[in-house]
Amino acid sequence: MRLNDLLKKLVNKQDSREVAKKRLKFALVYDKLEVSDTMLDNLQSELMEVISRYFEIDQNAMNLDIQRSDDYSALVLNTPILSARHQNHAQAAQGHAG
Amino acid sequence: MEGKVIVMTSGKGGVGKTTVTASVGAALALQGKRVAIVDMDIGLRNLDVVMGLENRIVFNVVDLIQGRCKLKQAAIKDRRIDNLFLIPASQSDDKDVIKPENMVWLTNKLRKEYDFTLLDCPAGIEHGFKNSIAAADEAIVICTPDVSAVRDADRVIGLLYARSITPKLVVNRISPKMVENGDMLSHDDIVDVLSIDLVGLVEMDDQVVVSSNTGVPLVTNRESKAGMAFQRIAMRLNGQPDLPIENPMVQRGFWRTIGKKLGRRNKDAK
Ligand SMILES: Nc1ncnc2c1ncn2[C@@H]1O[C@H](COP(=O)(O)OP(=O)(O)OP(=O)(O)O)[C@@H](O)[C@H]1O
Ligand SMILES: [Mg+2]
Repeated sequence: MRLNDLLKKLVNKQDSREVAKKRLKFALVYDKLEVSDTMLDNLQSELMEVISRYFEIDQNAMNLDIQRSDDYSALVLNTPILSARHQNHAQAAQGHAG
Repeated sequence: MEGKVIVMTSGKGGVGKTTVTASVGAALALQGKRVAIVDMDIGLRNLDVVMGLENRIVFNVVDLIQGRCKLKQAAIKDRRIDNLFLIPASQSDDKDVIKPENMVWLTNKLRKEYDFTLLDCPAGIEHGFKNSIAAADEAIVICTPDVSAVRDADRVIGLLYARSITPKLVVNRISPKMVENGDMLSHDDIVDVLSIDLVGLVEMDDQVVVSSNTGVPLVTNRESKAGMAFQRIAMRLNGQPDLPIENPMVQRGFWRTIGKKLGRRNKDAK
């Protein structure tokens, strides 16, 4: 038993304890990145509202997604712009000030 | 001065909520505090048998909330320990008969009568959990050194923070030998992952099962390592927050020491 431990250490085999800790850390990060569909939908409609104040966009072509890779997660928004709303933007800003 | 309401919770089932609640409650009462323990597991009551009070139940927490009895009638006095009371769960009602506002009402009553009220939460994060945390001033999260228990603890900690409660951690069922052999998460590993304060470290101890067989409180057994650990948790909750966490001891032999040294050198070399 003791000798086994020693051999294990000598060949530098990873302890199950260390494996557990790594898996845990990973699982916790992953759990926190989980986003429900309704949350994404709500975010998309709010973003659409804000963007539409500044740009004319094709609302059906807008696309919001979460992309994951091994070391990071990204929120990716993709939308074609039809035109900028120069005047409306100015009005909106005035409206806020008033 | 009003008493404190502390919820004992875990997310994952079977990690020791009921054991910790009964033992810490008994220890607090032995230290001279007035203690009420409330079994929040409606439909699946357990605390009564763990405390050896199963044949003294007349009224339960649902009766109390629905006004069918007075607090004095629902709170069963412990047979052996003064100032320790159990309010049992109901066995026949539906989980959702109690609402969070009922718990707020109940705990307001209990704070006036007892120095400590401990709520033994059911597993999961549904009804019983929501009811229990709705009324709590403080929380203790219990977890065992398993990946799944720690992960569930993290989820529960998040939900407690959302209610502005900063929970404290009890690590239960640790086996010092397995930790030493590198086959079990240590309490330091768990604290590191969950980043909350540790309020107790309880070893795996056969006496826990013996005590639940007989209904005799574990904390009166000086031979039980777990029993003594529960005493220390009670002291930390009861005005001695800085009482140091005792490190579980493993007998250290010559080969083990050499092995550990070699192991460390290997790691440094990486
Ligand atoms: N430190 C310990 N050493 C040995 N056995 C233990 C220890 N702590 C708890 N147990 C045992 O583990 C089992 C589960 O404990 P307990 O009922 O307290 O868990 P629980 O979290 O309340 O479960 P549930 O989620 O079902 O309510 C019991 O049989 C108990 O005796
Ligand atoms: Mg239980």
